[in-house]
Amino acid sequence: MLFFSYFKDLVGKEVTVELKNDLAIRGTLHSVDQYLNIKLENTRVVDQDKYPHMLSVRNCFIRGSVVRYVQLPPEGVDVDLLHDATRREARGG
Amino acid sequence: MAPGLRQFTERRGDVAGEPVLDTENGEELRHVQAGVSIAIGNRSPESPGTLYISTKKVVWLSDVDRTKGYAVDFLSISLHAVSRDPEAYSSPCIYTQIETGEDEEESEGSDSECSDALDLSKVTEMRLVPSDPSQLDSLFRIFCECAELNPEPIEDAEEEHNWIFSADQLTDETAEGDSEWNFSQNPTSSIGHSNGDHDLARTVLQLQINDHRFEDAEEMEDERDSDGGHQAKVRVYCSPAVAWWIACSGAQVSMAVVNVVANEIHKQPYGCSLNESTLPSGLWLNYDD
Repeated sequence: MLFFSYFKDLVGKEVTVELKNDLAIRGTLHSVDQYLNIKLENTRVVDQDKYPHMLSVRNCFIRGSVVRYVQLPPEGVDVDLLHDATRREARGG
Repeated sequence: MAPGLRQFTERRGDVAGEPVLDTENGEELRHVQAGVSIAIGNRSPESPGTLYISTKKVVWLSDVDRTKGYAVDFLSISLHAVSRDPEAYSSPCIYTQIETGEDEEESEGSDSECSDALDLSKVTEMRLVPSDPSQLDSLFRIFCECAELNPEPIEDAEEEHNWIFSADQLTDETAEGDSEWNFSQNPTSSIGHSNGDHDLARTVLQLQINDHRFEDAEEMEDERDSDGGHQAKVRVYCSPAVAWWIACSGAQVSMAVVNVVANEIHKQPYGCSLNESTLPSGLWLNYDD
């Protein structure tokens, strides 16, 4: 559940979600659940020429299983905290 | 169940009623929205019908033509959103992307030409247009709730891989009262050394089946309290890059994924031995199916 908690901490931050169908959506992380389903707000499609119909979308729900990558804001990655969390997790939390 | 969009005409009763649901498997109707048009792919919207949202799927049934209806499982809906910009689509709607079983690029070009011969299973987009746009937000919310009820099904573990501990072996381990994870049979073996018969992956992968026999083990109850999981628990030691890759590919880790991870680990030029002091250089992931 480490990644779930980690993503929960990123709520409110700007992320880019890249789907397995190559669609990349940038937006504010609204919420995430245990299946890593992701809700984004203020979304915009990175490659607008390729996906013009997504232009109108301002918030969306993305199924966790179709996510290929989540690009994180550098300031949202606290390496020390993550190290600590993985250590704790490794000891059976 | 076939992935993607499909024809659906099974209605209950004689009057233009609700769709037939798989109630035996716990499917329930969550929402009915009258006055909804459906636009499939690039085609123009079809005559108003009624939208039914169940805990498993989205069904649209035509109000005029009883032989017309469509259904798509939440498992196949990869994205849904509220679309309001008139430039993108003429009417405010719920926009969905549908995961089809296959990857093919050519359908988009051919769809628009021969709209009658549309292969539903290849449709990747569907728009639901309520006559009352003020319903969009509540429809979106219901879509979210029901999507969350449908995580990826868990694939069966492939038993033949010898690097997976069987449940019996684990019982023995637990019986010894060892509260820590046993990293391997031979804790000093290092990841980089796989000479001989020693199965490298076995040192880094453990599959623990938490079934009811373990109900009494204290160290496990703690874990179960936090997540309520009762089934397979997989611990994978891997590089951070691989860990991200798994996490981003979805929380439901099938044994196939674990296999891939094991292969990735084989390729990693890790010279470190697997003990606690080296743990922070990688990540432990817990997966509760």
